[in-house]
Amino acid sequence: MPEKPTIASDWLAGCAGCHMSLLDLDERLLAIVGLATLTATPITDLKHPAESGVDVGILEGAVNNTANEAVARTMRRRCRILVALGDCAVFGGVPTMCNAAGCAAALRRAYIETESTVAGQIPADPDIAVIGPCRAVDQIVDVDVYVPGCPPSADAIFHVLTELAEGRLPRLAGRLLDWH
Amino acid sequence: MIRAAETVVPGQRVSITIDGRPVQARAGHTVLRAARDAGIDIPTLCDHPALPPTGACRVCMVEIERQRALQPSCTFPVTEGLVIRTDTPRVLAARRFAVEMLLSERPHYCMTCPVSGGEHTSDCELQRVAYRLGMDRWAYPPDTSLRWPVDATRPHMVMDHGRCILCRRCVRACSTLVANHTLAVHFRGARSTIGADDQVPFGESTCVNCGTCMQVCPTGAIIDRHSAFRGHEADVQRTRTVCMACGVGCPIDTVTRHNRLLRVEGVWDGSTDGVLCELGRFDVLEDHGPRLSRPLVRDAGGLREATWDEALARAADGLRGAGPGAAGGLITARSTNQSLLAFTRFFREALHSDRVALLSGATPPLDLGAAADMADVARADCVAIINGDPARTHKVLAYLARRACDRGARLVVASADPTGLDDFADLVVRLQREAGPRADPHDALRFTYHVRPDRLAEVRGAIERAAQPVVIHGPGLDKELLAALRSLPARTRFLPLVDQANAVGAGRLGLEAAPVAADALYVMASDEDVDDRPPPAAGFLVVQSSYRTPWADAADVALPSKAWFEKQGDITSFAGHRLRLTRPVDAPGDILPDWVTLFMLSVRLGRPLSCVNVSDDANPSLGG
Repeated sequence: MPEKPTIASDWLAGCAGCHMSLLDLDERLLAIVGLATLTATPITDLKHPAESGVDVGILEGAVNNTANEAVARTMRRRCRILVALGDCAVFGGVPTMCNAAGCAAALRRAYIETESTVAGQIPADPDIAVIGPCRAVDQIVDVDVYVPGCPPSADAIFHVLTELAEGRLPRLAGRLLDWH
Repeated sequence: MIRAAETVVPGQRVSITIDGRPVQARAGHTVLRAARDAGIDIPTLCDHPALPPTGACRVCMVEIERQRALQPSCTFPVTEGLVIRTDTPRVLAARRFAVEMLLSERPHYCMTCPVSGGEHTSDCELQRVAYRLGMDRWAYPPDTSLRWPVDATRPHMVMDHGRCILCRRCVRACSTLVANHTLAVHFRGARSTIGADDQVPFGESTCVNCGTCMQVCPTGAIIDRHSAFRGHEADVQRTRTVCMACGVGCPIDTVTRHNRLLRVEGVWDGSTDGVLCELGRFDVLEDHGPRLSRPLVRDAGGLREATWDEALARAADGLRGAGPGAAGGLITARSTNQSLLAFTRFFREALHSDRVALLSGATPPLDLGAAADMADVARADCVAIINGDPARTHKVLAYLARRACDRGARLVVASADPTGLDDFADLVVRLQREAGPRADPHDALRFTYHVRPDRLAEVRGAIERAAQPVVIHGPGLDKELLAALRSLPARTRFLPLVDQANAVGAGRLGLEAAPVAADALYVMASDEDVDDRPPPAAGFLVVQSSYRTPWADAADVALPSKAWFEKQGDITSFAGHRLRLTRPVDAPGDILPDWVTLFMLSVRLGRPLSCVNVSDDANPSLGG
């Protein structure tokens, strides 16, 4: 019996809603676990994909800082097939709305001008990530499978994972293609 | 192609081939129409059944033999022997490329857009075409650093340029349907945006808030403040009925959900080509204050809620107490023909009184000549407005008059005050206003209007020279003016400017607005706006009203009444057509049809109305 394919996921600039939709698989998660091995995800104990690599990497969220960019590049290096999960990963989505304001204005609004903030300051520690223009995942690394949706339905996620587990590269259409 | 074009006879049957199928089509029809008639679906975005084609979106491109490039099917005319392919790889690639480019031009944040949905629920034509083409990613990511403006300067509509695809449907609707010419494409190339007048905010422009642009918008670029996010097309019900905002009687589709009115839309194949005005599309949805949903009766402590039994008994006592023939009635000319008839019969049969009049409005003479249709206005070569300002009171009529002007018709305005159409008129004549015998400031017949003989001759001359003249006339014209109108050539068509939706129906029943002095007065005000007038004085006052108005507050007995969107029956438009009202929503709680109230009152007065079929809410004889 061939080994089950391995899956890892991670999240970037998103709201975790796509992972919630993954959990919406409910009992179908058991079918997925039967078909594949979920290794590292933000909602399991193991957070990062193994250096030895996985078959399928899944990224939720857009890329809007240096940390997200590093996570995306790491995932791309460590997986054979990269899935962009959700509107933010696929299109850029809501986080790209700050591009029209610009990074400096966004930071000023968030850390200084917020109504509840007193004497705020913009974090400038050299160890933390640096914000940049927000982009979709495929503007940083190559993406193999696109699963748009805000969030994608559990049905779409189930379809994509089962297709991948059975060795096919899925492309959503019909009822499962739903961005809204 | 030149050779073929020379031989085209519009309307002639021609044989063409679409996707290998022989198809019969009419010369002069577009390839798109020929394909659709043959059941072949070509996706489109800028095409709209009520608008002239323009070929802006390039989504409907097809391959036509002997044409060097792909051609937009929405503008390419059919000629004998055309061979068309709608599904070749070249066509599909071009279609896909067009949609990819449209999506790349603006950010299109579907997740925050009210018309966005899934394959079967989306109300966005762009999104549906994109789904159909299987678009699951950006081919060319839009530049999200560009800040596309949102214009929220108008009272009912918000324009989000970030969702606009420059299909120009709004521009065409504004110019060809409404003849207002406010909208245009401003700037060039990638900076192109829809704008108003000389690049001013929409709210400061010549926009008349008719909302036609919003109804034709294929995306969420123009959204309705009232109904946005309150339901997709898949969630709502539609009911075809008639607008009650003025006497024009535009056909409307009311959009409702959970028994609430969300939106009013025009009917493209209706008598006004789908055009509505601010009064009919938006103002009707405004909050008219608290409903009167239960009967009220007056005690020493003021008005209190009562049962129908108690309220009707009190009303009957009060009306009977006035003595035979001494009770009077006022009824709104917004009532259905059935309610008007029931009201007059109630007074005649149950109270032996003929003191029944309309609550407001002055109806011009209805017998000046042949009645015009809205279509007559749009194709007239002379439109004459004699006393009145349709641009203020009958806006859709004014739009159609301006459409006629755009086609070269002469516009004549004879009015005491400046009107909204003066700027477009070939001839403007000022009428003189004289106080009449009736001094009530709320009486529409308190003035009569006359005009200098030389000016009258000019107006007359302009109408007589026309081949298809339409005269739009208001009330209060003096003898000379009326005589002049009556002596116009028989080809002249007339439209009376009436104040209320069913004033012509009321006029045909012999009802007119007049003061009614009576010891006991029954006012069927329904949803007519009476807030600017003091309640009538009477020893005993019954007010039947849809809303808790000052008039209801002044009544001895206040009875609830349906509002227009809850009524069944018919009304007679100013063009003399009987138009069917179908209620889109049910009245709340205890509100009864007018005829049921009148019938129950007549029973308590001991003289039940005859000819009442109580089994049908939309009683054919008495309505409701």
